[in-house]
Amino acid sequence: MIDVGNPTGGARVVKSTLITGLWSLALMALGWAMSGCGAVGADSGSTSRRAERLVITGSSTVAPLVAEIGKRFEASEGVRVDVQTGGSSRGIADARSGLADIGMASRALGAEEEDLAGFTIARDGICVIVHRDNALTELSDPQVVEIFTGRLANWQAVGGDEREITVVNKAEGRSTLELFLKHFALDNRDIAASVVIGDNEQGIKTVAGNPGAIGYVSIGAAEHAVARGVAIKLLPMSGVDASTETLSAGIFPLARPLTLVTHGKTSALAQRFINYAGSPAVYDLVRELSFVPAG
Amino acid sequence: MDRSIPWAALSGGRSSTSSRSADRLAATCVWIAAAAVSAVFFWLLSDLVRHGAGQLSWSFLVDAPSNAGRAGGIGPIVLSTAWILAIALGVSLPVGLGTAVLLAEVTSPEAIFGRLVRRSLDVLAGVPSIVFGLFGNAFFCVTLGLGFSILAGGLTLACMVLPILIRSTEEGLRAVPAEYRLGGAALGLGRFTILTRLLLPAATPGLVAGVVLGFGRAIAETAALIFTSGYVDRRPESVFDSGRALSIHIYDLAINIPGGERNAYATALVLVMILLLTNSVASWLGQRLRGQHLHS
Repeated sequence: MIDVGNPTGGARVVKSTLITGLWSLALMALGWAMSGCGAVGADSGSTSRRAERLVITGSSTVAPLVAEIGKRFEASEGVRVDVQTGGSSRGIADARSGLADIGMASRALGAEEEDLAGFTIARDGICVIVHRDNALTELSDPQVVEIFTGRLANWQAVGGDEREITVVNKAEGRSTLELFLKHFALDNRDIAASVVIGDNEQGIKTVAGNPGAIGYVSIGAAEHAVARGVAIKLLPMSGVDASTETLSAGIFPLARPLTLVTHGKTSALAQRFINYAGSPAVYDLVRELSFVPAG
Repeated sequence: MDRSIPWAALSGGRSSTSSRSADRLAATCVWIAAAAVSAVFFWLLSDLVRHGAGQLSWSFLVDAPSNAGRAGGIGPIVLSTAWILAIALGVSLPVGLGTAVLLAEVTSPEAIFGRLVRRSLDVLAGVPSIVFGLFGNAFFCVTLGLGFSILAGGLTLACMVLPILIRSTEEGLRAVPAEYRLGGAALGLGRFTILTRLLLPAATPGLVAGVVLGFGRAIAETAALIFTSGYVDRRPESVFDSGRALSIHIYDLAINIPGGERNAYATALVLVMILLLTNSVASWLGQRLRGQHLHS
């Protein structure tokens, strides 16, 4: 656009530039004053709190559980527990850098992570489920892979009844899906899914309503459903029964530990929290989120 | 005023059957495209209402979430979201307005400085929000020491919203006829007076469009906030507390919480309602402001 507001020449330009400049300066000053005052307020506010604030970051699978445990811990200890998500790697990095008092990881610590201390607070395990009327009692790992990739389309091929197989898969982004794919070394694109479901309850309902269906859900949720009389059956995995007992004993293969991670010397408060997070006082919270207590 | 193109007049006397059927085909395509866009919106809205309306109640809006968000309400989360948005818009509006005025009224379109600013704004507008999130985390949370806080989240969103706000305000200012400036100058008004009494009121539609777009982008933001304002669903006591935004709550309920779908739908419904409400308030306010200034 042409500079039409400038009929009297250069003086006007200088003046208006000055005005704009002054305006921006005033704004910046205002912003600085606000943030300055705020910062002072924050410092005085948080020195009293900082000692009692526990920052926990990491895995988005573990975060909802730890946030709930944190609320209960806050109530009993009178401290603040701030839980942030961002993934297991971030939890481990933050624990190392000291940004977080405790990191969260949805896996066991690896060999190159010996500088860290890990505490398993719960286990997340998934099992393959079929309809209760399915004659099958066991599936080998290769058979599971062949069924989920669509190479086997009828239950007869694995010693079951003459019935078409309906593969129930999880929606993208679910941690259960990731765990399942990783265990069987599959890619989600390879899976020939007939039905895609969201949460455990939906998966259980889908399998219970279709005698030819096969799916996988969290063990805790499946056991709970069987106890309620829902028409599903949990299949053993590599000869190990799918149950919360084998899972919490750490012998069920398709599982991962939910781990709290600390680096260096653990503060007394952090240690109290870790102990609390693994104690029977929070088992109900662990089960609510379809995990299994580690103890 | 009827602005539609008089197709019949344009085709003149040579309206062969083939060109008329081509017209009809084009018209049908345009109608289908428009209908599809509205259909997507209504399908989405009805899906949200169907799954979420049952959960909605006053207590859902004011209560704190419990049981990892599956029970209770979203009170603290609405509050955190409001604070984050207030900071984002409170910071980006004055800065954006100032920059837009500079770009549209002070520098000429060809000036190197203006071109540089404009180019960098266009690039910024296309930067993925996760990049803003990581930048916000590194700069506001770590370097400035704000930590995971509502302030850090709001400032990160302000950076994200600025390009949209500036560009549409600038377009609004440029759309004001040159006669306004000439007329104002002829009356001996100063440039500041012309700007505040004539140009800005006339450019209000552009500003309002920018605010609406920016607000929409900000309230829907997840990736930029997860590393800045954070995940804590406690009622925030100050802007230095971490506070969970609505979009993060929806994401968490939908992805990480078994049995969280119902409340995820209800929260999404609340978010869409806030968006619709603010959009209508903004356009109504825009109309009013514009009318007042131009007719006083």
